[in-house]
Order: sequence, then structure tokens, then C-alpha cells
Amino acid sequence: MAPNVGSTPSENWETQIRKGWLDLVILASLWKEKLYGLDIIRRLEAHSDLLLSEGTIYPILGRLKRDGLIESEWVESDAGHPRKYYWLTPSGRRRAAAMARYTKTFFARIDSLIEPILAKEER
Amino acid sequence: MSHPEKVQQKIDAYLMQLRRSLGELPPDEVSEILKEIRGHILERAEASGELTEERLVAILKALGSPDQIAPLYQADALVARARSSLSPRVVMRGIHRWSSLSAWGFVLFVLGVAGYATGAALALGGLLKIFAPSQIGAWVGPHAVFDIGVNNDPAARDVLGWWLVPVGLVGGPALIMATTRVLRWTLRFARIRRPTTA
Repeated sequence: MAPNVGSTPSENWETQIRKGWLDLVILASLWKEKLYGLDIIRRLEAHSDLLLSEGTIYPILGRLKRDGLIESEWVESDAGHPRKYYWLTPSGRRRAAAMARYTKTFFARIDSLIEPILAKEER
Repeated sequence: MSHPEKVQQKIDAYLMQLRRSLGELPPDEVSEILKEIRGHILERAEASGELTEERLVAILKALGSPDQIAPLYQADALVARARSSLSPRVVMRGIHRWSSLSAWGFVLFVLGVAGYATGAALALGGLLKIFAPSQIGAWVGPHAVFDIGVNNDPAARDVLGWWLVPVGLVGGPALIMATTRVLRWTLRFARIRRPTTA
């Protein structure tokens, strides 16, 4: 396949991997409660280094909503401006659970493959 | 020292630029996006205590520039609309967007153009055959060249004759609809690569 025109030279493998995980970690952050955008960002900052630019999160939320995985609603807040809260739909819960299970198995397998590399480095 | 007016101007300028960059999206979607991003900026600003210009610059930098964020909305939204549209124009716009991002999209764009062009040629041929039966036909030349339309090669044979009318009038629109369906179906697999926002 020809190289992707949309990729920029600065886009390295690390960026690609991070982006791939964003869907899962966003769904995971909504597993227990309704959150608004900045809430989700703060959570991702606290638990991962996946978020490269905060603005990235909002288009992803829009896409997840279009795909029917999350739902949203504007709620007035005492902060003086409304907040857009997001929560998982039933199909979003199923997707999050499936992704989580897949990730677990995926890493267990990859772990055994990369173990020799790390073992050698430690020496 | 804080300059409330200057800070407000900076926020407005940022949102204005984002609005411009989001130009292709429907207005209600744009205002929804701006409302959410505005909330983000205001809330980050409140959390920082006194909002200085430097502090605001840092907030906007962490958010990413409008030019970085807007395409993320657009690529997705255009493709999303194309996925559920029956209009060849909307579908081709989505495919075109995809084609600028991946080689698969480009292949489909070319196939789309070919499908629609052939469909349109069939339909037009079928229609014109009624009015100019001797000039219009589905011609096969001596070198097995197949051509629908006006013939310039005296050695070519009209293989369909009057059949071109029903075949063109039914087959043309059917091919156009089939092309739309196929392109829409493939768009379900479009993984839009988001530009780097690091």
C-alpha cells in the first residue's frame, strides 16, 4: 500500500499507538459515571500519558456519539457556563467491555513476545 | 497584572478562528462545538485563579490550535454524513476526503468516478438513442473497443441496437445507485487518520 498522504513526518510510532488507545480509555473513563469533556481530560492526565493535545478529545467524543456508543446532554453548572456531560449507551458498555477483554488478552500475548527484549536490556 | 479585555479578545479570536476553520460543517454543529470548547477554556481559566495573558496562552496551547482541531471534526463529520447519504455528491465528497487521507480512499475515489461516469453514459446513451437512433449505439470496433455514444468508426458494429434504450435507461440509474451503495458500504471501514496534534 502507498504511504498515507495524511501523515506528517513528525508522526512517529508512539503517536500512532497513543491515538489507537484513546477510544478505549475514553469509554473506560465513562464506565462508572457521567463526565464532561474536561473531567475526562483530567482523568486521562492522571492515569495515562495518552493525551497529546487536549482538543483531540472533543472530536473523538463527537465520533463516539455518532457511532451510538455514548450519549450527551448539556447541564447548567454553577461555574456560569453549561457543561456537556457524556455517558455510555448500552452498546457503548458492550463495546467497552469487549475492548477491555481484547486488550487484556492482547497484552498477555505480546508480553511473552517482548519479554526476551526487556530481559536482555536489564542485564 | 491581568488585562481582562485583552484576555477576552484572545479567547474570542481563538473561537473565531476555530469557527472559520470549521466552515464546511452545518451551522448547528459548529455552534455546539464552539460552546463546548468555550466552556473548556473558561473552566481551565477559572481553575488557574487570576487569569493572565500568559496563563491563557498556555491553556490555548494545551488545547491545540484551531487549525489542528478543526480537521479532526471535519474529516469525521464529512465521512459520517456520506455514510448515510444517498446523494452521489455527498458520498463522493466523503470519499474524496477519505482519499486525501489514505490510499484505499484514493482507489475508491477512482472507482467511484468510473462507476458514476459509466452509469451516466449508459443513461444518456439510452435516452439519446430514442432521438438519434442511427448515430447513437453501443459500438464494438474491429479491435474490440467498446464504446457507448456517437460512432466515428465505419467498421464498428452496434451490438445492442434498440436494446440500448431499456438497457441504458434502467442499467444507467441502477449502476449509479449500486455505485452509491458500494461506496457507502466501504466508508463504514474508513479509518480516518487524525493529523498529529502533539
